Amino acid sequence: MRNADRLCLAHFWLAFVAFAGAAMLGAWQMWVRSPLGAHTGTPGQYYMSVTAHGVAMAYVLSTFFIMGFGYFVAVTALHRPLSGKGWAWTAFVVGVIGVAMTLVTIALGKASVLYTFYPPLTASPWFYIGLILVVAASWVWCVLMLVSMAAWKRENPGRPVPLAMFATVANAVLWLWTTVGMAAELVYQVLPAALGFVQTIDVGLSRTLFSWTLHAIVYFWLIPAYIAYYTMLPRAAGGRLYSDTMGRLTFVFFLIYSLPVGLHHLLMDPEHGNGFKLIQVLLTAFVTAPTVLTIFTIPASLEIAGRLRGGRGVFGWIAALPWDRPMVLAAGLSFVMLGFGGLGGLINMAYGMNAMIHNTSWVTAHFHLIYGGAAVIMYFAIAYEIWPRLTGRQHESLVPLRWQLWLWFVGMMTMTLPWHWLGLEGQWRRVANFNYDNPLIASWGPLVIVSLGGGLLLLASALLFVRNLAVLHRGVVPASARPLYALAVDPPQRLPAALNGFGLWNVLVLLSMLLAYGFPIAQFVVAPSPTAIVHRAE
Amino acid sequence: MSEGLQQTHERRVLGTELLWAFGVGVLVTATLSLIVFTALTRGINPPSNVERVDPKTLHLSGEFAEQNLGTVVAADGIVTARIIATQFMFAPHCIALPQGQPVTLRFASPDVIHGILITGTNVNTMVVPGYVAQVHTEFARGGELLMPCHEYCGLGHSEMWANVQVLSAGEFKPDRDGRLTCAQR
Amino acid sequence: MAVDQPLAADNSFEEHDDIDEAALAAVLRIVPLGAAMLAGSAVALAVLGYLAIYLFVFLPRGVVG
Repeated sequence: MRNADRLCLAHFWLAFVAFAGAAMLGAWQMWVRSPLGAHTGTPGQYYMSVTAHGVAMAYVLSTFFIMGFGYFVAVTALHRPLSGKGWAWTAFVVGVIGVAMTLVTIALGKASVLYTFYPPLTASPWFYIGLILVVAASWVWCVLMLVSMAAWKRENPGRPVPLAMFATVANAVLWLWTTVGMAAELVYQVLPAALGFVQTIDVGLSRTLFSWTLHAIVYFWLIPAYIAYYTMLPRAAGGRLYSDTMGRLTFVFFLIYSLPVGLHHLLMDPEHGNGFKLIQVLLTAFVTAPTVLTIFTIPASLEIAGRLRGGRGVFGWIAALPWDRPMVLAAGLSFVMLGFGGLGGLINMAYGMNAMIHNTSWVTAHFHLIYGGAAVIMYFAIAYEIWPRLTGRQHESLVPLRWQLWLWFVGMMTMTLPWHWLGLEGQWRRVANFNYDNPLIASWGPLVIVSLGGGLLLLASALLFVRNLAVLHRGVVPASARPLYALAVDPPQRLPAALNGFGLWNVLVLLSMLLAYGFPIAQFVVAPSPTAIVHRAE
Repeated sequence: MSEGLQQTHERRVLGTELLWAFGVGVLVTATLSLIVFTALTRGINPPSNVERVDPKTLHLSGEFAEQNLGTVVAADGIVTARIIATQFMFAPHCIALPQGQPVTLRFASPDVIHGILITGTNVNTMVVPGYVAQVHTEFARGGELLMPCHEYCGLGHSEMWANVQVLSAGEFKPDRDGRLTCAQR
Repeated sequence: MAVDQPLAADNSFEEHDDIDEAALAAVLRIVPLGAAMLAGSAVALAVLGYLAIYLFVFLPRGVVG
């Protein structure tokens, strides 16, 4: 039975085709917003495009890439056939149907509500049903990840779960917790409104339920990049992982700290008071911990590699690293983008300082840089690394791979750095066309054009990425066996249950969510907000 | 690697990680404490006056009825501006406010979620149907500022903005009822 | 290559690598000095940038509450 590689490839190709399409839409959007394309396109077209771009990048690229990568890790890190392959394929088909349903509804103009779909603005019910199917498919994946880990532990009693799988399952558990908010909002509030069963909706509650998902989801997206940092990068660089324990703690911290912080997306909202906003801001400080550990542990791992290659002095090991290898190059570029994006994020979460940038282009810059930049460049690197195993063919040359990665980095920085500045100037979000007759807005024009240039580089990079993978399917050079996962400096022999499973951490998540979200949600159940009338977005 | 050497490495690795975590932890805590401290002492908070209002009856009577919108100076000198945010305009479209005095801005929406910022200032809030959004501030500088709707509210979102005229003391002259509209320029 | 039937050879990659233990031990006497300097500089720059934006951009824009 050789279906697991086809299973992985199916997920990846769905993700990457959606990605390429979304990249084209993104470039068009940037053109239309700039002075160069100022009177092109209608708002109807623009918001259809933004909705499709957001859904494809935030829900399709991410979810299906992560599912495919998870199946890959479950087989290759655990050295066992995939459990429940029939379920996995069924889930994939359900996911495809969901994606089709959602994208077609958007294309028909019946769902211009953006990927955040804030009620009372309401789309056709098919838009939401499609998303629900995608989430359902991903839940099957979560269960299969848990089942795989449990089966391996039974077959290997007392042994530490390989870090790549431990991290993948941490992400699966995180995702199960994360989707509760959005699922509750969709099933309990939005879908009944879209189907016409109710005419009004409690917007305070819907904003709050969505915020539960909105922050934690970005860690769902980010964790695969961290899996590559910890388990693939040290090997690719020719070194060892500095600390396996810190790796495990990083993923545990992501699980427990990503969730009780969603209210920091609602700092400017009037339905919550200072008390819980401040509590969740303080909790947000904790979610910096896994990144703080990572920016030490991963450079330390690379330092091992660099010094083994002859690097000397305090920083000489950096130049000595094998930057010609795509995984190493991507990680270096990723860390730079993580730095800028992370700094922006620290400003976003800083309580009162959020007022300076909320709903401006600064926010758009932040999430494109950190997700589109730091995380997605590692998706590219992972794909390049594992494609030979999936296709049985080798990359004929690494030059186009490196070009693609550099184009992505330069494009992303060129696109997002001006947006930060424009955000501080007051440029606001989700605008179909700017009135460049207004002198203030006209003064933004040059930076908008620079940003557009970045967007065009990104489009070129996106198409080159798809090309670099597609050619392997027709490649002639057979793949040779190559190592994938890194060893640690001190490979663990035995681990406490807390670093080998998630029982304890699930309890902590439950308690922290009760603390952070208990009252903020319960208040609407006990005393609903004055309801707003459902507005159909058609 | 020998058992003993391995254990030494393990301890050293853990030691360096803890040292690093401690150092950064101190730095992050200090920075955050500064932010929170200044927030609490200088009253810099996200707008968080939780006040409910029924969006379905806003226009009918009460605080946000049409005749009450715009800038009003109360008998005790307190300046309040009441603004409706709706698809796809602000009422009033131009808001006159004084420079160098505390002002209170109050927003409500009868339909979908909107949001506002005022360029060059920290005035920023979501306007969520069901709630009055309130911001207290003081404009240090005079001038013509832009107040766009910054949350997607439908196909007309790009066209939705208001102007804010921050008037110097000499120009800020409310009428007999304490009302003020924008100066014609 | 079938992903779901990994070769026995794959196992050996995860048990061993090519690194010479003596070389590793020598390198580990210096590591993580370079990483600490790199990460520490990055954090220091981030904190300075953060405070600069707070003091020179945010606060001058006025008090809000």
